Amino acid sequence: MELSIYSLKNVLFQGKASLLNCQTIMGEITVLDNHEALISVLSAGIIRIADENKKEQFFPIKSGFLEVKPNSEVRCIVEQ
Amino acid sequence: MESPQNIKKRLKSVDNINKITKAMEMVAATKMRKSQEIALSSRPYAFLALDFLATISSLDQKLPELFEKRDVKKVLFVLVSSDKGLAGAFNSSVFRKFELHMKEGPKGKPEDYAHEEKLYVAVGEKAFNYLSKKGYNVIKKFTSVGDYTTPEQVKPLTEFLVEGYLSKKWDRVVAISTHFRSALKQETHVRRVLPIDFDHIKETVQQIIPERGKFAELIKEHQISFVPDKAKLSEYLIEPSAEQVLQKLAEHLFFVQIYHLILEANASEHSARRMAMKTASDNASDLGEALNLQYNKSRQSRITTEISEISAGAEALN
Repeated sequence: MELSIYSLKNVLFQGKASLLNCQTIMGEITVLDNHEALISVLSAGIIRIADENKKEQFFPIKSGFLEVKPNSEVRCIVEQ
Repeated sequence: MESPQNIKKRLKSVDNINKITKAMEMVAATKMRKSQEIALSSRPYAFLALDFLATISSLDQKLPELFEKRDVKKVLFVLVSSDKGLAGAFNSSVFRKFELHMKEGPKGKPEDYAHEEKLYVAVGEKAFNYLSKKGYNVIKKFTSVGDYTTPEQVKPLTEFLVEGYLSKKWDRVVAISTHFRSALKQETHVRRVLPIDFDHIKETVQQIIPERGKFAELIKEHQISFVPDKAKLSEYLIEPSAEQVLQKLAEHLFFVQIYHLILEANASEHSARRMAMKTASDNASDLGEALNLQYNKSRQSRITTEISEISAGAEALN
């Protein structure tokens, strides 16, 4: 899936990813390819992503928003 | 004519001033570029946040309180200025605009502000000094921001504004700040920031890119469309609920808007300072040239006097 994560200061991640794991205010979720379209609010925690080569990256956040589009496109805005 | 020693002394001090103002000009130019870059780096975030708002608000949701217009009894004015001086007309143009706005009222009707209670918030030391000298009711000041604003520094301001708005301490917030059009041109704008207006935010976000100069070509690449596809929207699962998401998003967008207002004021401050320092160093070099000429003339006239004295003495001996 195409994933982009933006913060106010810079672009944290942009490109292809295979997995996104984050805390929403409804609980922890993991987004994989072909996820259902979703808009949600992120709560404080750590975003974990795995890129195509299964290499993991972590971003601590304070809050943010998550949007999963129907065509496997995921966008986040986060506050650090 | 003044003695050459005296002129020399003045010449030296003018030279020193020239050096100092030149250095300040360079520093301000670098700071301006950096603050522009900071403003630009938050652009993807702002665009996406707007995009979210466009998506969610098309769901025919009840808008959160921050969007709601209510009867205006109390107005809060936020004046955005700098902490330090030596920035040319930067601060005074904000104050002038403010005075004009108070005199003319919104939409050119002076009576609009007659019955409303007015409150003031100062951003920057200069605004605080100005407002307290005028005897206005300054309820809070936010200063020592430094050269570049960080989101952490803007947070207390936005939280203060939102909290006061929700607890009905004021019904409208008007910000007077400087808009950075290009490195040579800045304008003071009066903007209503609360209640939130979708178009106002859009305008602010789009104005992040200066009209001319290094970053101007970026303006074309980003076009947001605000006509969301209704059919597609129903596919979205919104957690926890559209209302709550909208509420959070509104706070976020308000924050982004204020953050950009202050970033822009930052960039404008540095470019105003650069211009002021450029004029100052230009004047100093003009003055230096004039003084140099004067020095040479006075030196020449002293030599002439001395020669004529000597030759007169020699004449007398013969």
